[in-house]
Parts: sequence; C-alpha cells; structure tokens
Amino acid sequence: MRVLIQLRPSPDLVAAVADPSVPSMASDVADGLPGVVLDHSYAPVAVPRPMPASPGGDPLSLNQPLVFSMAPQDASVVVRGEIADDEVTSRIALLPAARRDVVAVYADPAIETSLTCGGDPAVGDWHDVERLLRVPDLTAEGLDGSGVPLAVVDTGINAAYVKSARGHDVTVDHERSWNPQSVSGTPGDFPVDHGTMCAFDALIAAPKASLVDVPVLLSRRQGGSTLDGLLSDAIAAYAHLREVLDAQPAESRALVVTNSWGSFSPRWDFPPGHPGNYSDNPAHPFNLIVGSLAEAGADILFAAGNCGTQCRDSRCAYPDRPIVGANSHPRALSIGGIDTAGTRVGYSSQGPGRLAARKPDVCSYTHFAGSGALGDGEPDSGTSAACPVAAGLVAAVRSRWPSTVLPPAQLRTLLRRTADDRSAVGYDHDYGYGVVDAAGIIAALRRRAAKAA
Amino acid sequence: MAEVLITVRLAAPATLEAAMRRLGLTEDEVDAAYGLVPVDPGRNLYVLRVTEDAGRRVGDSGAGAADGGPYSDPPIEPYGPPR
Repeated sequence: MRVLIQLRPSPDLVAAVADPSVPSMASDVADGLPGVVLDHSYAPVAVPRPMPASPGGDPLSLNQPLVFSMAPQDASVVVRGEIADDEVTSRIALLPAARRDVVAVYADPAIETSLTCGGDPAVGDWHDVERLLRVPDLTAEGLDGSGVPLAVVDTGINAAYVKSARGHDVTVDHERSWNPQSVSGTPGDFPVDHGTMCAFDALIAAPKASLVDVPVLLSRRQGGSTLDGLLSDAIAAYAHLREVLDAQPAESRALVVTNSWGSFSPRWDFPPGHPGNYSDNPAHPFNLIVGSLAEAGADILFAAGNCGTQCRDSRCAYPDRPIVGANSHPRALSIGGIDTAGTRVGYSSQGPGRLAARKPDVCSYTHFAGSGALGDGEPDSGTSAACPVAAGLVAAVRSRWPSTVLPPAQLRTLLRRTADDRSAVGYDHDYGYGVVDAAGIIAALRRRAAKAA
Repeated sequence: MAEVLITVRLAAPATLEAAMRRLGLTEDEVDAAYGLVPVDPGRNLYVLRVTEDAGRRVGDSGAGAADGGPYSDPPIEPYGPPR
C-alpha cells in the first residue's frame, strides 16, 4: 500500500525542505523507517501547520478561521513510501511509537480517473494480448496447448462461433465434456454467450488445446434471461474432471480448469463462522473438491471477481473482502484483470481473499476487442476474460510440462515468481504478485530443463 | 424448498441407496437426479443434496450420521461483463 508519512524533524531540516533553493531528499528526513520502502523519486514536501486565527481558539479544530504557519518550528514534512499490504495495520500502529518524529501515516490513493470500467470501450484487441503473451515465442518453444485438455466451466461453448471469430479450427473434446443433469445439449454447440467468450480467450495462448465443455452455469435459469447455476453442479462437474484426470497416463497427465464465475452475494450462504458456510470455509465440499482435484494434478484458475473498489459490479453484495470461497482457494490461482495498457481495470476485485489472504495471485489481460460473443462491439471483459487468458498460458506450458513433471503447486509458484511486479514491496492486493509474464516463464522453464538434463 | 449439501463417508462400492440407508433418508428428502457425488476418492468422501429439514436432521450439527453439513448450495454466476 502506498502511504504518505508526515514527520516533524528538527526545525533546520524543515527549513531546508521548505527552501526551494535547497535540494532535499526523502532519505534526509525519513531514512530508516522500519517496514517502509521510501519513494526516493518523491522529494519531501513541507506542509504548513493550521493554527487558530484568533487567540484562545481550539488548536485541534479545523472548523474555525485558521492561519497557516510555515515557520520551521511549526511546519511538518511529508514523504511518500510503500508498506507491504499484509503489514499495513501493524506498521501504521507502530511507526509513531518507533520514531518520535513520525506524526501520522496516511493512505495515498490513486487519483487517476482513467481506470477502465464496465461499459468503457475496449482497450486494444486480442492480437495485442497475443503480443503481450509472446505467443510466437511460446509456439517456438512448442508451448501451444497441443494435447492439453482445457476445461471451460461456464455457460457452454459454441465452437463454430469461436472458429469463425479466430479464423482457425477449434478442437472440442466431446468424450471428456460433461453436462449437469438438468442440461441437455451437445458439447461445443451451445448458444453463443459468456462461455464462448472464455473459450476464445483461452485459445489465445493455447490455440491447439482441446476444449472440454462443462456448461455448469446453464444448470438453473431464473426468469429465462439470467445465466446462473448452483454450486452443487460445480461439485458434480469437478467429480467428472477428476475421472478425466485419473484416466490419463502419468507421463502426459494435464488438465487445466478455467472458472470465470463465483458468488456475488452472501444472501444464499450460511454466515461466516457457521460450519455450513461456503465463502470462508475450507471444509465446504466444493472447496474440498477443488483442493482434491489440484492435488491430483489439475491446474485450477478462478476469476478474482468484478468487485474492485473503483467501479464494482452492481451485483457485488459482500461488504468487504469480495474474493470468496474457491475464488480465493490456496490451491487455485486467483486471476485479477489489467487492460492491454498494463493498468488494473477498476472493477478487478482486490484482496485479501477469504480462504487465503494473498489473493489475487496474479493479473492477466481483459477488456479487449476479442470474441464479440457478448455483443457487437462489446469487449471481452470482466475478470471473466482475464481468467481464461491466463488459463491458456498455463495450458501452453502443459504441452511440454505434464503435471507429473511440474506439479500444479510448482507451476503456481513459477507464475507468481516470474510475474511482472507492479509495486515496490512485492505482493500487493491490487495486482497480486504482478502481471503474468510469458518471457519470464519461458526463461524459467529453460533453466529448469537445463538443470534436469 | 431450498436444498443443502451433506457429506458422508462410504466404503466402495458406494451407492446413493447405501448413503440413504446410512443416513436414514427417504426418497422425498434426496435429490436422486443429483445422486451421490465423490468429493475425495482417497478419503471415501461423498456429497448429496437433500432438503433443508433433512440436512438439519442428519448433518453433523444435528448429531446425525453424516460426515459434515448441512452446507450451503448458493447460486453461482458469470463474472462478466461487469454491470
């Protein structure tokens, strides 16, 4: 978290900072603050002290006539720095005690107004995503998704539409696809909707992956227009995917599962603390089966959600910590969203997560002109698009690295470790460990292969 | 009626009928179409959907024979496009 730290150093130092002819640096006034990474590019700023305009005024009230004193004995100095997200509370509490010159620590929120929000036009197109994911480099390494089953747990796939939009053939694995008991339909032949967008986006980095169509979100319709399902159907889907995984020979075992869905509201859940709760409870059957499938060798990715503070989806009903349940599972990757300009989209949910605090794990690309499956001119958007884009990258890796050679836990670590960090202190709750970096992944895999040779 | 999930441990061959017998459930109380779904084969752990009343009665919080539950079965929705 970026912060502003107000200090009251010696009057001669305040005078130097206030004098524009004297160059001063953050380290001159705030060196050695425990747990704070100082921003040395931000020159310290002298801040005047508000004082009552008339004698006898309340020295603490700002609701009265005031004068502002820049006298060295009155003024203070502000510097900028960063505190690790998971240390913010303790650091802010301890800093004034550890250093007597620290007056206060304040948040330094982004004041940019240009964060991409729902309804905004696309930022770039899917060819930009191809370029950012270095798809030609991945292909040159043999990392194109060949032979890798990529399960799209969503509203169903329309393969003909994806083929037309991409201009290339699409493989749907009919044998491994699966419908909930209340859903009829043929794999790859469902109406064009959200799942078709996800399939298109997953194929950007893994064009030769085999799509496994799992239309769980068609399992329950309300009013004939809203797509949704029940978590119990997702449990049944995962039980099927376990069979798919177990049936594979060990030497080529791989299954990537992309999940661009979640629970928006605590309304249908037991409250946190209740033994039957889902959002915060690792013992819920769905959270158990996610852990079990990942342990068996599947790479599971969940969208972080669209409840970011800058422009949250109107359906978001959790009062805080909106990355809930399996979307925050420690054995899954939680994917936040950035646009193709590299900036986090304002609706991408921020951490901490409810099952594991360090969520999202990484960010991937969204809000680009892609499939058009959501309507003419509509971007592929939401963390719904970011998740399959990242899943495609994972599927690309799996073409040469089966889970018996590179277990899912190690692949998750590799993605976090190679991510392009967007803060000065490592992990943060906006971008997680950073933005997925295909070049870093390729380099790490080469090192790993050389070591094994 | 809202339905909930309960878990049960059963040795192979696990069937819905065996789970119902173990838990003392009637046909009216169980979503037979959903069936008995394996959660963790290594631990012989299965899940089934039952009515809320049955879940309360046989769930572990009701001192029944279930391994766990009743658990919530909330709706899930796509995360996009943002509204």
